Amino acid sequence: MGFKMDQPLYSLSDEQEQDEILKMWESEKHGGLWEGNNRLPMPMVILMALIILTAFMITMPIWGQRPTAAIYQDHIKLMESPEVQRLATPEEKMKYVADTAMQMAKSKGDSRLVGDLERHPLTWDDLLNIAPGIKEVQSGKSKYAIDNYTVLGDRIVLANFEGNFVKSSPAFNGPGGMKSGADDYRERKQPWWDRGYSIDVFYVSYFCLVVAFIVKRLPHFSRKPNMAKAK
Amino acid sequence: MLMKYLFAKNDEIPAGSATIFFGFSSIFWFVVGTGLGSFNAAKLAFPDWVTGTELFAFGHMRQVHVLAVIVGWISMAFGMTMMYMTPALGNTRLWSEKLGLWTVFLWNVGLSLGLILLWMGITSGREYSDLIWPIDLVVIFGVLVPLGINVWMTIAHRKTQGIYITNWFFGACIFMVTITILVGQSPEIFNLTGLTEAYLTFWHAHNLLGLWITPVAAGIAYYTIPKLTGNPLYSHRIGHLHFWAIIAFYSTPASHHLMSAPLPEWLKSFASVEGVLILIPAVAFVANILLTMKGKWSLFVENLETKFSITGVLLAIPLNMQGGFQQTRAINWYVHGTGWIVAHAHLALLGMSSFLEAAAVYFGLQQMLRRKLYSLTLGNLHYWFFIIGFCIYWISMTIAGLIQGAGKIYEVPYIDVVVAEHPYMIARWVGGTMVFTGNVVWLYNMWMTAREGTLVPEGRYPHELAYER
Repeated sequence: MGFKMDQPLYSLSDEQEQDEILKMWESEKHGGLWEGNNRLPMPMVILMALIILTAFMITMPIWGQRPTAAIYQDHIKLMESPEVQRLATPEEKMKYVADTAMQMAKSKGDSRLVGDLERHPLTWDDLLNIAPGIKEVQSGKSKYAIDNYTVLGDRIVLANFEGNFVKSSPAFNGPGGMKSGADDYRERKQPWWDRGYSIDVFYVSYFCLVVAFIVKRLPHFSRKPNMAKAK
Repeated sequence: MLMKYLFAKNDEIPAGSATIFFGFSSIFWFVVGTGLGSFNAAKLAFPDWVTGTELFAFGHMRQVHVLAVIVGWISMAFGMTMMYMTPALGNTRLWSEKLGLWTVFLWNVGLSLGLILLWMGITSGREYSDLIWPIDLVVIFGVLVPLGINVWMTIAHRKTQGIYITNWFFGACIFMVTITILVGQSPEIFNLTGLTEAYLTFWHAHNLLGLWITPVAAGIAYYTIPKLTGNPLYSHRIGHLHFWAIIAFYSTPASHHLMSAPLPEWLKSFASVEGVLILIPAVAFVANILLTMKGKWSLFVENLETKFSITGVLLAIPLNMQGGFQQTRAINWYVHGTGWIVAHAHLALLGMSSFLEAAAVYFGLQQMLRRKLYSLTLGNLHYWFFIIGFCIYWISMTIAGLIQGAGKIYEVPYIDVVVAEHPYMIARWVGGTMVFTGNVVWLYNMWMTAREGTLVPEGRYPHELAYER
């Protein structure tokens, strides 16, 4: 088990250890099988790096989040307007509300809101069901903002994210105030430092380190076992 | 014959007996499992077919099909490969042929009992762990523990210094799946409900796939491809990357099956990154095997076992591309709970995994029987029925899933989605029935191989003589 640390990218085993491993590979066949000592081809190494990068990019906290109840705020305002009240059927009412809310979103230049509204249409009955919940939050009865809520079926519920401390909470302690406090005082929005996502950064780093250590204990890939000697 | 050997002395049992009984059992359960699948698919394609009897209701039959395939076909094929590959790779004999035979006996008895109970409606009601816990105890202590003891002891008594990669996977995966099934019973034994039950159910389901079905199938390919081609395995060091990446990245993303459930969001974020990283072991595996084929690609056309093996390896590419990305928040929102997931599950179990196991069962049975395949024509017929039937199934269900996803998101009335999907349900039935038909042909072919296959002389492999008369 001789370690050699002077050229860690070449091999972590000393020459004697490498010779012994090669000798073993050359001298024994496993039921007629033997193994090469080739490296992962460079395009594959690049592909691996790309996979790790993609894994973090595609799941980054800014992507793919569920829409919050905030995207329906304009719907709630519009549903009680005289224009809507004058319309006869639920379908007509909903079409007017959806079209007008979409125009308002486009005029704000908020492309994310436009996309969310396109992908999450409502029926008139849906709107009637969630309206009381949204109004209650807007009335200030909840200590959370409306964008801390998601729509779940016919009601709105607090999201399960654990974000930054809310400034108005007693647990908040000035700039960057991460004073410990009850989870109730955290924003229920996915923060950029999302705990699960952050754990992954360490987890993947440790994995790369451990595998590099295991693989570098083998003879360098330039040293091939001579298969002609295998029995 | 099995009963005679069960009570014989270990030394009096011919080497390879456990392999042969495991092999034929696995093919039998494959026929049963795919037959039930074809029956169930017919019920979806033609809703008026076989109605009015509770026993034949879809809700009774679905899990019998799933468990027959997973515990019967796939896991018994794993048992079979372990019975002959583990000793071969250690240049030794199986530690106990008798224990192997008892394992296959208890496996068949326990599974038959479990499936009959499921059919009668006695179920835990949790997907993939549908069997009630007493049957699961039989699976753990009557099947997995004896299988593990036999494999671990054979490895311990090997006559080589090193341990070949296939045996890393075999030894580790039996341990991990035993833990998975033990923990998976906890909702039933401790009456856990709600989110805890949901999470543990899919922790079990995910790890059954990730720490048993996929890696053992890959371990099999590490044996069959070098064996069939005569090439050395391309790289021992890439094998390390594959093995440890499976342990690190396949054991952690269970909660990505529940992206819409009210689990802590940080847990889903963690699982989602890990889910994409499943591509790392997949790329390592596919690269290692395809590079081992160097100079021997003609065998992909000429040799039946290589054809099955390489098809399985190639199917690992779309499998992992789908699996890696469909679980991210943005995509899962669209495909969750649709036929897309059914198509993906069949790509894993019927595609990648089953093709690799079929190759190993073909190879192992001929090897242990010391007989050439009875009919290469029937073997090829089996392959083409299998691959064409599978592709029809997979493609039709993928399209049906996308239609369902659109229907779900845009709140299309459910019955309109049912009507739109109907042609794909018929295609699903046609594809599944082709796979079933191919498997009936396979069972016949292997039965005739055992009875009338040409004897193979010492020192030769059956597949080498496939085209010799």
